[in-house]
This record gives sequence, C-alpha cells and structure tokens, in this order.
Amino acid sequence: MKRAVLFGIIAVLIVTSVTFAGAAPRRGGTLRVGLNADPPNMDPHQSTAAVDRQVFQNLFDKLVDLNQDLEIVPMLATSWTISDGGRTYTFRLRPNVVFHDGTAFNAEAVKYNFERMLDRSFGSNRFGEVNLVTGVTVVDDLTVRIALEKAYSPFLAVLSDRAGMMVSPTAARRLGRDFAREPVGAGPYKFVEKRPQERIVLERFDRHWDRTAGNVERIIYRPFTDENARLANLRADELDIIDQLPARDVPAVRTDAKTRLLERSGLGWQGMWINVTAAPLNNKALRQALNAAIDRRTIARVVFGETVTPGNGPFPPGMFTHNIPANSRLPERNLDLARQKLREGGQPNGFALTLKVTPGREPQQVAQVIQSMVTEVGIRVNIEIVEFGTLLAQHDAGRFEASLLGWSGRPDPDANIYGFFVTGGALNNSKYSNSRVDTLLDAARILTTAEQRRRAYTEIMTILNDDLPYLFLYWPKEYKTLGPKLQGFVHVPDGMMRLRHVWLNP
Amino acid sequence: MSRFLARRLLLTLPVLFFVSLIVFSLISLIPGDPARVFLGEEVTTEALEVLRKQLGLDRPVHIRYLYWLGRVVRGDLGKSVRDGRPVLDTLLQKLPTTMELAVTSLIVAWAIAIPGGLLAAWKRRSAWDYAATTVSLAGISIPNFWLGIMLIYLLAVNQRLLPPSGYVEPWVDLGRNLRLMVMPSIVLGSALAALVMRLLRSSLIEVLGTDYVRTAHAKGLNDRVVVVKHAMKNAMIPVVTIMGLQLSGLLGGAVITETIFAIPGFGRLAVDSILTRDYPMVQGVVLFAALAVVLTNLFVDMVYAFLDPRIRLEERPA
Amino acid sequence: MRRPADAVLTGGLPAEHAPAPRYGLAYLGRRYARNRLALVGLWVVLLIIGTAIFAPWVAPHSPIKTNFENLLKPPTSGHILGTDDLGRDIASRVIYGTRTSLLAGLISVGIAVAIGLPLGLLSGFYRGRLDDVLMRLTDAMLSFPFLVLALALAAVLGAGLDRAMIAIGIVFTPGFIRLSRAQVLSEREQNYVEAARASGAGDGRIIWRHILPNIVSPVLVQASLSTAAAITAEAALSFLGLGTQPPTPSWGSMLNIAQAYLSTAPWMAWWPGIAIFITVLSINLTGDGLREALDPRLRSV
Repeated sequence: MKRAVLFGIIAVLIVTSVTFAGAAPRRGGTLRVGLNADPPNMDPHQSTAAVDRQVFQNLFDKLVDLNQDLEIVPMLATSWTISDGGRTYTFRLRPNVVFHDGTAFNAEAVKYNFERMLDRSFGSNRFGEVNLVTGVTVVDDLTVRIALEKAYSPFLAVLSDRAGMMVSPTAARRLGRDFAREPVGAGPYKFVEKRPQERIVLERFDRHWDRTAGNVERIIYRPFTDENARLANLRADELDIIDQLPARDVPAVRTDAKTRLLERSGLGWQGMWINVTAAPLNNKALRQALNAAIDRRTIARVVFGETVTPGNGPFPPGMFTHNIPANSRLPERNLDLARQKLREGGQPNGFALTLKVTPGREPQQVAQVIQSMVTEVGIRVNIEIVEFGTLLAQHDAGRFEASLLGWSGRPDPDANIYGFFVTGGALNNSKYSNSRVDTLLDAARILTTAEQRRRAYTEIMTILNDDLPYLFLYWPKEYKTLGPKLQGFVHVPDGMMRLRHVWLNP
Repeated sequence: MSRFLARRLLLTLPVLFFVSLIVFSLISLIPGDPARVFLGEEVTTEALEVLRKQLGLDRPVHIRYLYWLGRVVRGDLGKSVRDGRPVLDTLLQKLPTTMELAVTSLIVAWAIAIPGGLLAAWKRRSAWDYAATTVSLAGISIPNFWLGIMLIYLLAVNQRLLPPSGYVEPWVDLGRNLRLMVMPSIVLGSALAALVMRLLRSSLIEVLGTDYVRTAHAKGLNDRVVVVKHAMKNAMIPVVTIMGLQLSGLLGGAVITETIFAIPGFGRLAVDSILTRDYPMVQGVVLFAALAVVLTNLFVDMVYAFLDPRIRLEERPA
Repeated sequence: MRRPADAVLTGGLPAEHAPAPRYGLAYLGRRYARNRLALVGLWVVLLIIGTAIFAPWVAPHSPIKTNFENLLKPPTSGHILGTDDLGRDIASRVIYGTRTSLLAGLISVGIAVAIGLPLGLLSGFYRGRLDDVLMRLTDAMLSFPFLVLALALAAVLGAGLDRAMIAIGIVFTPGFIRLSRAQVLSEREQNYVEAARASGAGDGRIIWRHILPNIVSPVLVQASLSTAAAITAEAALSFLGLGTQPPTPSWGSMLNIAQAYLSTAPWMAWWPGIAIFITVLSINLTGDGLREALDPRLRSV
C-alpha cells in the first residue's frame, strides 16, 4: 500500500514536471528573427522606416505600450491622469529604472526626450507627432506633466510608438545624430552591433526593471528582402520567427508541422490615391465611375488569396471604428452604374488614366487586375512603375493622376485618417479639401468617448465615400510565422514582435 | 623603367578624372528633390532642410563637384543616407563577401576555360574544337539570371541538394558557406568561362603559328611539350592582361547573382542602393567599381611591362 | 601602347593588318554557308524575326488578356505553356516578347553605332587633342562594370523600355568608338588613301568613299554581337524592375515574376529563359559566321 502511494506521488510529480517543463520559461539561448528589410536607423527620434520599429520594441522601453486588444497599458509610466479638458497629461513614472549606460530614468529624462523631438534644428521625424506639446514640466523625480495646445485623444497611442520611446539623455547629448550608431535605451535588451544588410545583435540587459523579461540571452535580427529566402531559412531552422509571409505560401505553411502560422487582422490599409486637382479625375462623376467598375473581392482573391480582407475604408477589423457601415460595407461591382457615371461626367466612351505603382510584384499585379477590370467600360489604364521615393516626390508636386499606395497603420483611428484627408495634411496626397471633413476630423481628436468619435467618423466616411479622394481596396492581414522552438509569443495586431517575455525550447 | 612608370601613371590621371566626372554627374542628374525622395512617408520640413544641408544641395553644381572631389580624395565618401554609416566602411565590409564569390567564380571559370581553350586550339577544326566553340557560345548566350533561377529550382527546390540562397561567413560555418557558394559560382563562372575560352583559343592559335613554335617543332620537341610549355605561357598573357576586363565582368555579374542568391555583397549593395536612391552609397559603389578596374588595368600593365621589355621601349602612338 | 585587351574590344581584329578584301555578295553567301552552325543560327534568327512581325497571327491568345478563373495552370492543350499569375497565356506572352527583345536590341545598338561610329571615325582620322580626350573618356566609361553603369543610367533616366534602350545604347557606345577608331587608324595609312589624297580628294570624300566602306564589315560583325548582348541587357534590366512596364510582355520581367512562383508554378520560369537563350545564341552564331565569312584571316591564323 505504501509503495503504491509512493509510486503514485512519483508519477504525479513526473507528469507535473513534464507538463510544466514545456510551459515554464527557460532562460538562455539565441533568438533569430527574420525581417523583411534592413532597418536603416536605430534612433527612434530620427527613424522613418517601419521595420526599425521591430528592433525598437526590445531595445527601447516606452512610456506606455499596447496589449493584444490594442488597449493602452503601463510601461515606463505606471499610471496617468488626464485633466484640463484633455489638455494636460500627468504621468507617474516607474521607479528604479536605468538606461543601458547606467543613466537613471526619471522625469528629467522624459523632459529631455520631448525637447529633443521638438527641437527644430535637430529635425526629428517625430516632430509632427508631438507638435501639440507646449510644455513638459518636472513635478518631481518620478512625476512629469505634459501640456498640450489642445485636447488630443490619440496622444497615448502616439506614446505607445516611437514618440514614446525613451533614449538615454547622456548618450543622446554625447552623440547627437550619431546616436543611431550606438543606441542606448531602457529596454530589456541592449545594443551590441549592427552590420548593414547582415544583422543586428541585441543582448540581455541585466539591470532591467522587469525581472520576468529577457528570458532569451541574445536576439539576432537578419534582413531578408527576398520573401522566398526568408521562409526557406525558417524552414531550414535558421530562423525562429519571420514577419510578412507571401500570400501563396500561406496554405503550405498552415499544413507544415514544423512551423506555426499566427494570423490577425492588421492595422493598415491599401488602395488608390486620386489627384482631385488634375484631369481626368478632378471630375467626381468619373471617380465614381472608376470606383463602380472595380471588384474588390476579385482583387483580394486573385492577388492575395486569403491574406487580405477586401475593404472600403481606413479602419480595418479590430479597430473600434471598424463596423461603421460606411467603412465596412463593400460596394459591389456595378458596370451599369459605372457607365451611367461616365455619361454624367461627360465621357460616355471612357477615358485614359495613368496609374503609378511602386516596383514589386504585388502592386503590379493589383494594377493589372484593375486595368483589366475597368477596360470593360472603356477606361484605359496605363501602368507606370515609379520608384517609391520618386513617387512621394511626385505626390508632393501634384504630378500624378492616380497611384497605388497605402499606409502601414497605427492603433488609434485618428492616425489612420487625419493627416490623409485634412486640408493641407502632410500625407494628403490627393490635395483633397473639404471644410466639413476638416471640422469633423478635428472634432474626432478632441472628443473623448468612443461613441462620440464614432459618430464623427461615420459622417466623415459617408462624405469620403461620395467624394472618393482615395479608393480603399483592402486591409492586409498580419502574419507571423514561428519555428518550433519559440514559445510564449503574443501576437499584437500592430505587427510588432515583442520578444521580452518569449523563451526558446531546445 | 621609372620613366615608363611615370608616364603610365600620368596617362591614368585623365581617365580617373573622367571617371569621377561621370560618377558625379550621374547622381546629380537624377530627377526629383533627393531629400524628399529619400525621406519617405513621415517627414517634416525641418528634417528635409537638415538632409538637404547634409547632401550639400543648396550650392551650385561645380562647387559641389569640387567639394565632393576634395572629400573623395581624402577617403570620405560621405555617409549613407539610409543608416548614417560612412559609405567607405560599408563598402569595405561588403567587399570580402564579393571577393570570395569572385575568387570561387574565377576558379570555376578558369577550370572550364583553360582546358577547354587548350583542347580547342590544339585539336583545331576537330569535333573538340566545334564542341568547345559551341559550348562557349552557349555559355555567353545563357542569361545568367535565368541560369541562377533554374539551378535554384533544380538543385534546391526540386531536389533538396543545396540550400537555395543566403550567406554565412566562412569562419562561422565553412561547410555551409561553401555549399552556398556552389550555385552562384557556377552562374558567375560559366559566363566568364565562355569569354576566356574564346580568347584563349584564338590567342593560342596565334602563338602556335609563330616561328618560335615552329622552330621548337623542328627541333624535335614533341607536340604536347611544345604546346604546354612554350605556347601556353605566351598564350596566357592576354588572358592575364584582360584581368581588368574579367574583374569588370565579375562585378557586373555579381550584381545579378548576389540579388538572386541573397548574398550580402558588393553587387547586392549596388542594386539596393540604386533602387532606394541612397545617393552617397550609389556614388561610392560606382566609383569604387570603376576605380578597381582602372587600378587593376594599371597594375597588370606594369607587371606586363616589367616582364616584357619590348613593351617598355615601344613609343605610345602620339 | 596597344594592349592585348584592345583585341578583345575591337572584336579580335588586329589593327595593323591590311584592310579586309571585299567580296561580292554571292561569294560571301557561299563562304558563310560553309559554317553549318552559322547557317542554323541564321535560320533561327529569321524565324524569330518572323514571329515578331506575325505575332498576332502566331499567338494563340492575347498576351494581356487576364482570366481570373484560370490562374497558374500548368501546360494543357488549351494553353500549351500554361498560364501565369493573372491567368494570361504564357505561350502568347513569350511570342509577343520577341517584339520587345528585338526592338530593344536593334534600337540600343542603333544608338551606339549612330553615336560611336562617327565619333570614332573623326577621332581616328584627325587625331590630335580631340582624339586624346575622347580616348580617355572612353577608357573611363569602359572602366565601369557594364551592368552597374546601365543600372545607374536607367535609374537616372527613369523606368520604361525606351529609357532602358537609351541607357544600354550609351553603355555600348564606347565599344563602337574604339572599334571604328582602330579601323580608321589602320586604313588611313594605306596606299589607296595616299593615292586619293594625291589626286586631290578632300577629307570628307576620303572618309566617305574610301575608308567607310572598308570598315563596314567589322562594325557589322560587332553590331550583330552587340545586339545579342543588348537583348540580354534589356532582359536583365527588366528582371531587376527597370525596363518594360506591365502588362507589356518582356522575357526579363516575366522571369522576375516567375521567381516568386518557383515552387508552385515553375513552368513560368522555363520558357522566357529558353526564349532569351535561343534568340541570343542564334544571333551570336550568325554574328560569328558573319565574321568568319567576311574576314578569312580570323579563321585560320
């Protein structure tokens, strides 16, 4: 009897330990990440490329962060209060936090960071995100007060990205713009080296405030612009996680026993910019004709398979503003309506249009699908491949008729719409100007409840669906592909690989 | 000898001047505001101004050229606009990778071309000759990017014999490094092989017909000895002399090969920087490539002149 | 100092030798036909030219008509080479691709000859400062690896087949300058030139009536070989994304797209590459045959 009990206890112990062996984080190992491009700039205040942000997640701590449901959660700021009608933010900061070079993190450091972003002679690319800040006050060592020119609901979401990433004042003062070469943050991993087009290496920072963070000893980021090579390396066990999977590989990866595919809806939108100040599409009826001749579902299916959701607005699934009917309802392709609008617009036999696209297989395929669809009503599309940077310059100068360009997306709806459709907005490529829309966009920033903001956005989308300065076409889904060793990865819709709590099984 | 040296150097200077002029004007002619073109989606006017100053775009063209030349001569090729690192550092970092590819490709090329050319010239007008000529013509005619894709498909996708693409340093994992070099070297080497084989064949034929060789024959030395010992040595001279050309071909071929096989070398850098409008880097890459070729030519000429006194004494056509 | 490297660049023709003897067309034809490979090459070239001209009749389908229900299908009786990522017939696209390639080859080389030949002629004939400067300039241009220079030029000029052709033409020009100059240098010392001058002929007449006809053959040979290289170059530029714009069928851009579908639809990659290979090979064979027929010294040295 006693022996049976003994065996029973041993059995339970064995089973328990085996079960939890997989579940308990193991410390150690090197995590290998495959990026889709080589991050150019390691200074969050100067960075422009989206891929930089992947490395930043683990190198820099931010004032606040996002969780899986896109809610704001504490990070370097443990709590905050918003007062004065949304114009003042007071943050309580986490104590005993140090930067990688030993500098203490406190209210002074926060103040320095904001001053750096707002310094016009420094020319930070974050300026436009924080230019409503009128003053940063150090209340005490762990309390900082930020005053805004006017209420701005998206402010916390902005601080969950690059604008909220804290750099070490000591290092930044010493290095200036060269900070990008020796970045110093307060994240669980510190910078070791960066070899262009080869790798970026981060190493665990032992004095990080979160004792549960930093299971993995080192992280190596490797850029693979060739998507085939990226996947091949994951399959060959050279990488543990990769970003952005090509559409046609999704079915195979789903069924592959060695890899795990994680899918969520993303935050970005893609479609066609229309220059409303230039012929032929300065004519609203013709824009509507073009829109009516396009079948969004077919574009999504032919070019992307199941990896995008066809859409008609700037708010992908997952955002609280998504199910506004004007945003989520897909117009059906209607050739009769298209022809009617053509007649209304004075071009019953169609018209010619030059569509500019960036190099790359998918934009070209989308363009060709659109081209063959609209040719049925007589709209003759001429495709022109223009390199990304040149395209942006042409947008600025208004030297285009239509172009395929989208936006990578941000958690707060304001960042997905404001700068694109407000009069004179930095990202308003179509040169669209509508004072009612301007008023509503400003209002949506100041209003504080979700319901109020949805009402504003509903009206905006109704107007935009009629004016059509931009044809929204689809919302790319967010994919992450994991190898067998990586555990504990939490997939957040913003597409950022947060690696501080993951671990590697041998 | 030193007079010859000085003369040769002096004649290289105008070439270098024109090279620098070509490189500079190439970049200056690109349309669009370079600062805006580079910075991308999120940009402020302040950031634009800072970048413009950094690129020196606020000054007239000829002044910019002189400033640029001054910096280049001192080894300052500017900083990459993408990641802020000095262009020269990145170039030097990428060079060993391409050098490795170049060396392995050269080995492949000469391993095919030398025996091939030898056989073709020796057994002239025989089946060997025609076969060799056709093979070398085929080698020149195959588009190397297609060859690369086909090799990847056959050897890596269809039959998993080799890894499809990528790169790892030799001191990290030599076995994998060599396996990754197999297909790129074949692609790059075969194109070069064809060129070298043709040249070797015609130059060997020329040498075999000279009096010097006929005399050796008459003296009774057997065929093989004559060919291998006497003719080859002289016939190799043009092959070595076009080293500059071979280098140029290798660098150009590396552009496509490195892109297909995802090798982070010089050629890949050229394509990436051109496509992303990283002007300082493009300037650096193009300048570096041309400089390498010019200096190789100079070096080869020197060696050639040193070995063959006749050349030294020949007057250059006025 | 003449470098052996020059021999490669002038098409293997040693500059000091006597001018090429001229032959009647029938005689040339017979000499050419003695090389069977070259004959095959010529027939294939003519076939390709014919395909390009009669493409609308030869091609079974439209090369740009998409069919979203028929994507990425392997070869069947309806589409003998299969369909591509947008459902278009690959066979028709390969057939129409002959137009793009031949056009690219002819125009690029045309530009190179149109600029290079006169410049080389004048430079070689008059010598002096112009010649010195031009020679240093061509040396400089020839120092750039060909594809790097073509890429950079195409990036400067912008995307599109026309810009790519200009870029390739510019890159090939120095070769023709060198070639025609080398020819002129040897011709101008000849007795018949002396004789013509003695009888009072002016420079222009000498160049036009006496020198030019003698250098036509090597230039022709070089031009044919360069056309093959230009076709490869256009394909390479299109492969890298700087060249023909969609949906125009071009073998190079077809290969670019095919790369992404290598594991799911490999047939997309075979045919454009084979087409480039056959075209370039046959032009090279023809050019080689032409060279042998026009100048006997090159065969039997």
